Parts: sequence; structure tokens; C-alpha cells
Amino acid sequence: MALIEASSVSRNVATTAGELQILSPLSLAIDAGEVVAIVGTSGSGKSTLLSLLAGLDLPSTGDITIDNVKLNDLDEEQRAILRGEKIGFIFQSFLLIQSLTALENVMLPAELAGSRSAEKQARELLEKVGLSDRVTHYPNQLSGGEQQRVAIARAFIGQPQILFADEPTGNLDSVTGGNVEALLFELNREYGTTLVMVTHDDKLAERCDRILRLSAGKLLEPGDE
Amino acid sequence: MSDRAAEAKAGKQINWPKISWRLLQHELRRGELTIMAAAVALAVCAVLSLSVFSERLQLGLMERSAEFLAADRILRSRGDEVPTEWLQRAQEENVASARRVTFNSMAFANDELALVDVKAVSDGYPLRGHLETAEEPFAQGEVAEGLPGPGETWVQGSLFQQLDLAIGDTLEVGESEFTVTRVLSREPDAGFSVFADSPTVLIHFDELAATGLIQPGSRVNYNYLFAGAPADLQRFEAWLLPQLDDVSQRWRNVQDGDSPLSAALERAERFMLLASLLGVVLAATAVAVAAQRYAQRNFDAVAVMKTLGGRKSQVAKIFTLHLLLLTSASIVLGLILGIVLQAVVVGWVSGALGYELPATGSGPYVLAIATGLLCALMFSLYPLLRLLKVPPLRVLRRDLTASGLSRWLHWIISGGTIFLLMVIYSGSAMLSLALFAGGVLAMVLLLSISRLFIRASRQAGMQAGSSWRLAMAGLQRRAKENSMQMLSFSVAVMLLLLVLALRHELLEDWRGQLPDNAPNYFVVNVASQQAEPMQAMFDRENLPATAMYPIVPGRLTAINGTPVRDAVSKEERDDSEYREGFGRELQLTWQADLPEENTLREGQWFAEGETGVSVESQVADRIGVSIGDELTFLIGADEFSVPVTNIRNVDWNTMQPNFYMVFSPNLIENMPATYIASFHLPEERRPELYNLFREFPQASLIDVDDILQQVRDVINHVSLAVTFVMVLVIGAGALVLVAQVQASLEEREQELVILRTLGARAALLTRSITYEFVVLGALAGVIATIAMELSIFMLQTQVFNMEPSIHWRFWILGPLVGAGVVALLGWSVCWRLLRQQTGNLIRQLA
Repeated sequence: MALIEASSVSRNVATTAGELQILSPLSLAIDAGEVVAIVGTSGSGKSTLLSLLAGLDLPSTGDITIDNVKLNDLDEEQRAILRGEKIGFIFQSFLLIQSLTALENVMLPAELAGSRSAEKQARELLEKVGLSDRVTHYPNQLSGGEQQRVAIARAFIGQPQILFADEPTGNLDSVTGGNVEALLFELNREYGTTLVMVTHDDKLAERCDRILRLSAGKLLEPGDE
Repeated sequence: MSDRAAEAKAGKQINWPKISWRLLQHELRRGELTIMAAAVALAVCAVLSLSVFSERLQLGLMERSAEFLAADRILRSRGDEVPTEWLQRAQEENVASARRVTFNSMAFANDELALVDVKAVSDGYPLRGHLETAEEPFAQGEVAEGLPGPGETWVQGSLFQQLDLAIGDTLEVGESEFTVTRVLSREPDAGFSVFADSPTVLIHFDELAATGLIQPGSRVNYNYLFAGAPADLQRFEAWLLPQLDDVSQRWRNVQDGDSPLSAALERAERFMLLASLLGVVLAATAVAVAAQRYAQRNFDAVAVMKTLGGRKSQVAKIFTLHLLLLTSASIVLGLILGIVLQAVVVGWVSGALGYELPATGSGPYVLAIATGLLCALMFSLYPLLRLLKVPPLRVLRRDLTASGLSRWLHWIISGGTIFLLMVIYSGSAMLSLALFAGGVLAMVLLLSISRLFIRASRQAGMQAGSSWRLAMAGLQRRAKENSMQMLSFSVAVMLLLLVLALRHELLEDWRGQLPDNAPNYFVVNVASQQAEPMQAMFDRENLPATAMYPIVPGRLTAINGTPVRDAVSKEERDDSEYREGFGRELQLTWQADLPEENTLREGQWFAEGETGVSVESQVADRIGVSIGDELTFLIGADEFSVPVTNIRNVDWNTMQPNFYMVFSPNLIENMPATYIASFHLPEERRPELYNLFREFPQASLIDVDDILQQVRDVINHVSLAVTFVMVLVIGAGALVLVAQVQASLEEREQELVILRTLGARAALLTRSITYEFVVLGALAGVIATIAMELSIFMLQTQVFNMEPSIHWRFWILGPLVGAGVVALLGWSVCWRLLRQQTGNLIRQLA
């Protein structure tokens, strides 16, 4: 049984010129432990697909299930709880909370989930990502690469079943990007997480088990290009 | 078992207070919440210090004013004594009492005879203020201990003149003989009756019966003086008032009547109320602007929390607690500042006045805390609601903000809160409604004008150099945001100008009423053949004096042929201390010209040869006469009728002889008259007084210096208070401007960074931003000045009962201050931004 399943999922948005379909109906399944890349040009619908799969947004048609739970049946609040329990995120722009330190940023998801050992876990993770000397730094005191490593630590603290990453190395130079990439795959292996990653970077995509290609809102079958 | 499973078993921990506290700590440290905290603290500090100060001032003034009465309350009974049970009750309630009986009588000494005002007082008198006596007439008095002893009397200086008295002489009053032991130089309750030409003869109450002057049917005023703590007085009052018959028995307190202070006090109180309300509205605006910024800055944080599994309720709790903590801290800070500030100001004012202001209760503290809570919570409610509505999807789509919240909600919440504050402050829903409706109308008008201005300025800017062009383009592009900003700039500048102009008006008005050389003596009973020599003496001695007004006593007997029974006699107004002892007669005069300081309300002044009478406006209203009515007067044995030619407004606060009725000269010119005038004698020339008036033995002098001094005292108080209020309001206004400039620059940050990255020199950018703010500020200044003039016109005519006036200085000052302050603030924030490395800026924006 697939961990993530999408069937006939589409997404329309209302514009002044009328309804616009930004994602044509598509179906896919991602198994537990799989590492999947979603690639495509800008505006092809990658991020839209990611937002739907992660339950940040709801599809206009079709159903998505995560671990046998139908997202359409959940309200915003229940989806937040589901995300808190099963999903981690990494973003292109890091999205650390500026007024919290590195340690506090990492602790946040665990604390929101009511964990009693958030600080201990966060320190361990920061150690793992090589930032044990940066725990009290604020995001604006860290370099881009360091910020992303904090974000990775934050993503893993809840030991999520699924990790969604949106262009995780998009804002980093190639060397730093490479390091972050390595770290991401290493932790992913260690925790046995299912990884769904949106990327422009072909090399990064190649390291994944499977590549889903999107073009103009359509999912291309292998060999379509 | 994984950590998570173990925890699930152990139960969850509530972590949101920790997260909230942490966020607050860091935001405070980073200075992000400074403006919001400062605005709340300022509102609390302003309200607390203002209300404590004005309450203490009020209590102080009441105490001082009580000296005018020689008591806190007076029960006046005409013709009869009141039950002794009433005095016992006062004693039980810890209210001190004393008796004062006054009546007119003849006094004899040295074979001369004079009409005097006998005043018999019991031990304890005066309950408030003090008596002063001197060794010789018109000399500087000293505070007297006790009262005249058995067989003794203290008499006023003018009786020394009239009866050629000396200390130690014997004065006969009724069947008793008294030894004159002191000159009575000051009685706290002497009142201010220019025509009370009979000098006071003060004796002890125990001596009264022996004079045999009190007979059934005698015209005697029995006064019972009471003084005590406010609460005790209130209890006594509540018990006593229902038992008064209200015809022959009257109850008086300090606020009653037209004391020379009441007008000044009332205006000051209204000003303080208005100013503190404006201050709070300004602070609330600053809170709203700052809260909006705060919410916007936290959009990402909320989106991230929601994405990471934070439930809506958790996020709501985190930010609500955050806000509550911030509010509480700011309120505490405001309270501390307020306590310190009012202590400093009270100390300073007490020092200037020479007496301690009394302490106040807890009322102002409650009011201040309530204001702080209302300001902070209500004005940040909408930004907070918006913040909580931010969708998690914002983590991927940065353009998403809160949706589904109407901006109307914002206006309703803020408008409702301002209205609520107005009602709390003014205590009147009607007044608040009027102010509020006016305010809303002004806002709509201001908003439309600002948009119009911005559109027009674009045209002008296109013809200018590159910094200007950039500035004008920026102004136009953000027309909507800018007109909102301009609105708040305008409102802030307008309120500042308003408070400034009103303060100026009030102070000028008070000063105008009582110039330094305002008359401090009245001279009455001047025989007609002495009027000219006296005028000559004033000129010779360089004493500024009014004209000599003739006085003919007479009565109004009929209006349009219908007889009146004392309808116009001043005695009718026996609720006024100042007319005490005045007979049934009116003091009539004639003048060829409209008296100085009088203005015509209706009709024309007498033409040459015209016959008629000019009536004072309040009297005209009271007795219901208008132009053309025939008034019949009885003077001596002559009865005659004259038409009302005009109606005059008289400012009773001026130290001038003022008259209810002024005839045209041709009517009573030949009747026997005495003359009256007022003049100013500098303090240091006081000892000359006796000699100056030696040649006019019939004339009586009335010293009003004390009253003047007291009025000046009060006005000095109030001027200080008014200035203090103004400073606070300016502080609040400045906060709004800072908050607004900061917020508007944040909106521009991205554009600035792009321009900077593209190689725009810092000087160009700084100039263009500064110019943009110069234009915004100047336009706001112009709008603010117009709005200020309109509001001040309304306030002067509707609230303060003053003459409206135009304030030309502010037409220059308004735009200059607006442009200067707004541009300076804009420049400073922009400069800070541009000093940073471009790379740094880009990273921050990302």
C-alpha cells in the first residue's frame, strides 16, 4: 500500500479571465521509504503539487490520501495535526522564525506537538547537522547554508514519515548546496523517511529513486519528453 | 520504543506559554515592539498623570475656593434660625460648623453716623481661609488668631475714614458699645460686591443678643458654615438636603454661582478632558499602526507554525499571550512613569503655589489601566485576527496573506473603541456621539483631499529634477497607501496644532481678562462735585483708572405697563455671594458712549439726543425684555418710562464697574448721583492709599486685590496644567508619526533595495525618499491646518464659549512642521537602511 496516493487530482484557480487550471488531473502513488523528485520548468505546477500532497492546500478535484487518511475529509485543524505528526518540511527560503534562535527554531515543531524533550532532541539534531556551536544564534547571524541546516534539523525533529522539500538547495551556491544535499540524504537514510523533493537541479533529481516530470500542469509519463 | 511513542504514553506537555514568552523576549530585545510598548505606556502614563494631576488640582482649587466661602458648604436661612438638631447631626458626622449672622445697621462714633454691615460670628469662624487684621487702615494685614473678644470689635478700613476712628475708640452698635481693637483688612468671605458700600463691623456671636438689633421682622441673614472631609460632608449633605424648604433656606457649595474662578476652571477642565482624549486617540493610533506592522512581520512565523503542525488554537494562544504580556508590561511601565511624572509636576506646581495639593483616590489608576488595556487589546485585535488567518500555504506562496476578514471589521472595532473611550472620558454619550460623528466626517474629508492632493502633486513633480521625479512617481504609485498615511500624518499634525492653538487661545484669553494692571481697587460713593478732582488725582498720581461712572439708585417698577415685584433687583440673585447685602435698588447710570469691554448684542447705541435704556443681556433674558419694550423706573419720587434701545453683553469677570441698566445721558443727568470708578494701585504703593484718599472722606474704597490674586493663582495653576497636557499630547503625536514613517518605509524597503542593487547612489535614494516625505508632510500640514481651524472654530464657539478667531501663524507653521518632522523621521529611518550592505539587505528581504 502506497504511503501517499493521489487520484485524479487537479487544481484550478479563479482569475479575472475566469477559471484557470494550473494542475491537470493526475494520479500517482509514492511508497514508504521512497525518494521522489518532482521536476519541471518554472510555472509547471511543481510547488502546487507539493502543496497538495503535503495537505497545505486542497485539490479542486480528486483525492489525496496520506497513510490511508483522506485529506479531503479533514478540516484545516486536523490537517495541521496530521502534518505535525507525519510530515516535515524544508523550504528554498529556509523560513526560519527570525525572532527565535537556531535551537528554538529546531525545537518548535516538537514543542507544538507537546514534546517534553524538545530541547534534548533539538541539541542532538543540531549536533548532527554540525551546528552545535551555533545554537544561540539568530537566523540573520547564520549563513544561508547554516540556515538550511537548521531547517533540516527542524524537519527531522518530529521523526516524520514524510519529508517534503521545496528546492532545498535553490538559494545556495553549489558547494554549500552540495553539502546540504549530502546531509539531507544522509539523515533521510538514517531515519528511513519518505522524501518528496521539488527541484530544478537535475543532478539532485538523479540521486532520487524516481523522477516525476511536470510540464504546464501535466504529469509526463516516463519517455514523454 | 521511539521517543515519540514514549512521550505519547507519558502524555503531552503544554508548551505554548514557553514559545510565547520566548518570542516576546526576543522581539523585545530586537526592539521590534518598542513603538507598541511605548504607545501603550504613553497612553497609560498620560491618562494617569493627567487625571491624578487634574484631580489633585481640582481638589486644591476647591480647597482654595472654599476660602471664598470661609467654609466648604453654607446653609443660608433668611429670617429664622434652623433646628439645633441639624448642627448636632453635623457634629455626629464629623463636620465642623460655625455661625455667621449678618445685617445692616447704623453705627455711631465721634458724633458721626454710618451705615455698616454687622457681622457676628461664632468660634471656629472662618472654617476655611483666615481673617487678617492690621494696626492702621489699609496697611498690610496679618493673620488674626481667634475673634474679637467680649466688648471688642474689628472694623474695616473705610469706616475709619467715614467716622474718623482710631484704634481704641468706642463704636456704638444698637444698645451695645464696642472698643475698636483692630482694623479688619481681610475677610475670606468678603465677596466681591462693589456696591456693598457699608463697611464690615465684626463682633463675636455671643455679643449679638445684647445689641438688641435682632427683632422679629428684622432683615437678617443666618448663615451656618460647614467644613469637613468630602465623605463626611456628603453623608451630612444627603441627610440634610431633603429637609430644606428651598425657599428661605439655601444650600451652597464652592462650585455654585458665578465665582470669578468658575469660568476659567470650567474651560481648563474641558481642555484637559479634550486633550487627554486626543492624546489617547493618538496613542491608540500608534498602537494600531505598530500592531499592523507587528502582525505583518509575523505572517511567516504563523504560516511556518501552522505548516509544522501548530493548531490554530495553539497559534492563537501563543500570540494572544504574547500580546497580553506585552500589554501588561507596558501598562506597568506607564503606571510607573505616570506616578513619577505627576509627582514631579505636582511638586513643581505646589512649589509655585506655596501649598501642597491634596492626595487623590484610586480612580485615576483604574482609568489609566482600563485605557491601556482598551488601547492595546482593541487596536491590535484586528491585526491579530488577520495574523491568525494566515494560511499555511504561505510557506510556498509568499504573496498569500490573511483572507476572509473584512476591513470594515477593523474600522468597526477601532471606531467602537474610540467611541467607548470618549464616553468614558466625557461621561456623556451625546457629546461623544457629536465628537465622533464630526471625527468620522473629518476623516472621510481628509482622505478625499489627500488623494486629490497626491494626484495633483504628480503633475507638478514631473517637471522637476530626477530626485523629485522619483519621489513624485513613488507618491503616485502608492497613492492608496499614501493617502492613508497622509491621513494619519494629518490627524497627528492636526491634533498637535489644535492642542497648541487652544492652549494659546486659553492663556491669551485669561491674560486678556486680567492684565497686570487690572484695577485692584474700586472707589464708590464719590460725591458729584468730587468726581472731577478725583479724576485729576488719578491722572496726577499716574494711577490707571476707568472713567467715573455716575450712580443713581432706583427701581424698576413695570415692564410694558405691567408692575414687577423686585423682578430685577439684585437681591433676587441671592444665590450669589457677591451680591450679598445689596438692597432692593438697582444702581443706575448714564453714559454717552458704550462702556469699554461691553459689546452690543442687539440694537444700536444711543444716537445723539435719543432717549432710552441699554439692558445687560442676561438680565434682559431673565426678565424677558427685548428692544422696544417700555421699562418704568422709580427714582426718588419720579416715575418715568423709557424704551429699551439696545441689549449689551457684559463680561462680569473684568474688574470694571458694570451695570445692568445704562440710560441715555439726557434722562437722569440732573438727578443727584454719586460716582464710582476702579483703578490699579501697585502693591508697593499701598501705604500711600490712606493719604491719597484723605481729601475724599465720603468716598469708600473696596480692595479687590485678593480676589484678583486668587484668580491669577488659579489661572497660573491651570496654565501649567494645560502646558503639561500639551507636552503629553505632543509625545503621543510624535509616536504616531514615528510608527507611521517606519511602517511606510518597510513597505518601500524592497523597492529601495532593488534600486540600490541597480546602482542608485545612496544620496539619490535618500533625497528621493526625503522629498517624498517632505511633500507628504507638507500636504498633511496644509490639510491639518484647515481641519484645525474648523475644529477650533467649533470648539471655541460650542465648548469653550469664546470668540472664534483665525490663527494665521499656524497656516505657515502647520505645513512647515508637517514637512520638517515627517521628512526628518523619513530621512533618519531611510539613512539607517541605506547604511547597511546591499547584500545584507537582500538577504533580509529573502
